[in-house]
Amino acid sequence: MRGCASFTSDRPTMLEVRDLDAFYGDFQALFGIGLDLGAGETLALVGANGAGKSSFLHALCGLTQAKGTIRLGGTDLIGTAPRDRARAGIALSPEGRRMFTSLSVRENLEIGANVGRSGHWTLESVTALFPILGEFSDRPAGLLSGGQQQMVAIGRALMANPALLLLDEVSLGLAPVVAQEVLGALAGLRGASEMMTILVEQDISRAIAGSDRFLCLLEGRAVLAGESKGADLDAIGRAYFGEDVA
Amino acid sequence: MIWIETLVNGLMLGGLYALFGLGLSLIFGVMKIANIAHGEMVVGGAFLAFTTSSLLPLPLWMTMALVPLVMFGLAYVLQLSMINRVLGDDPMPPLLMTFGLSIVVQNLLVELFGANNRALEIGALGTARLEIGDFAIGYLPLGTFALAIALFAALHRVLNHTGWGRNVRATADDPALVGIFGIERRTVFAAVMGLAAALAAFAGILLAMRTSVTPFSGSERLLIAFEVLVIGGLGSIWASLAGGLALGVIHVFSARLDPASGPLYGHLLLIAILLARPEGLAGKVRSR
Repeated sequence: MRGCASFTSDRPTMLEVRDLDAFYGDFQALFGIGLDLGAGETLALVGANGAGKSSFLHALCGLTQAKGTIRLGGTDLIGTAPRDRARAGIALSPEGRRMFTSLSVRENLEIGANVGRSGHWTLESVTALFPILGEFSDRPAGLLSGGQQQMVAIGRALMANPALLLLDEVSLGLAPVVAQEVLGALAGLRGASEMMTILVEQDISRAIAGSDRFLCLLEGRAVLAGESKGADLDAIGRAYFGEDVA
Repeated sequence: MIWIETLVNGLMLGGLYALFGLGLSLIFGVMKIANIAHGEMVVGGAFLAFTTSSLLPLPLWMTMALVPLVMFGLAYVLQLSMINRVLGDDPMPPLLMTFGLSIVVQNLLVELFGANNRALEIGALGTARLEIGDFAIGYLPLGTFALAIALFAALHRVLNHTGWGRNVRATADDPALVGIFGIERRTVFAAVMGLAAALAAFAGILLAMRTSVTPFSGSERLLIAFEVLVIGGLGSIWASLAGGLALGVIHVFSARLDPASGPLYGHLLLIAILLARPEGLAGKVRSR
């Protein structure tokens, strides 16, 4: 397969990415990525460290300079500010959680609602999803455990009522049982609404199990893509490490 | 009794010092830059007050409201048009820019107003005293102190209990991230600079009621503001209040005990704090 793997979805396309190049200064992190995603679908983005997974998410939400096309619900967002992308419906739960440490848990969640999109997600529905956040709502977010901070980061993104939710390494650094709790809550959201999700995950089998489609990146290029159901994990594993997948 | 009076006078002066430090502390906390032009914002406020009170027949309280508003607008535009451009990982460019600005403003003031001493004419208020038994305290220092405390409390309320304050604190925590939550950090910075300048200008008016100022008075106030920050500590506006009060008390006591010493004992306090308690009297310990 050539370096511009892309695939089409059988649901109406809500997100359309074409020929996406991303840059950090002079360094090019992504080369010609393309993908389509339909309403309610979840895409797993897999790849080794430095393959460009986080760069792809950052390019989508405007934190990284990018060229190409990012069309969400018919509007091309390339070149627009992060704020405008947030209003258009892109929300990110960033790698490393990045709490606003001088804010309480509730205030962190409220920051997500700044975007001003209405919908299902409110303080009440987020604390129903992660009850511990309701209990600790007045604590400084920096004092929470890693798993609880991860829940805040996901909740903060959900508070924007996104059309496209980007989840970067939500289980990284968490104890297995805590990771299961977080991923379990997310699994309950799958297909429940029109919201699309792109999740970045190191663990290939977990990523495939929790998604409708997958895209494998290697050194900034798409090397393998397809349906998650019945996907050949060995082939993904080879693509992951850059072994010949032809 | 004389010692209690000295202590009270020190605290009153400390309220004004704390107000000098407040804007500097706010800017440092949110943008992580040292605003060298802070002293000129104080003095600029005083000179704006001289101008408005000589041009317009405004009552004093109206000048005290109008001048900070004007300074807010000027500093807002300054931040958007100039300082935002040099903000980055390197603290040097904003330091140099505000240093340059302080020189420009100083010379502009000399050009416009001359180098003479000026004070704000407040009539009988300057000497009126509240007497309780054989204990007396001037209405002006008392009013200055009360206003300073009120402004600290108001800023605390705005930062901790409003949506805008929440966005300011989030921007201070992680300026690179807030954009994806719909916050425009440039306008947050501009509003914070405006607010700091308005507080500085207000302190400048209070200063000009108490003593005379010249276009060159800024650097002295900048030094006091820095000492307030270091003595009090960083991380909370209340630390600036603690620093201001400590410095005010030291200055008034040393003026009584050793009249020729000037600001010497204030500097010694600064050194003592740096040696014994580098995080300041009320600062938060930061681990890196």
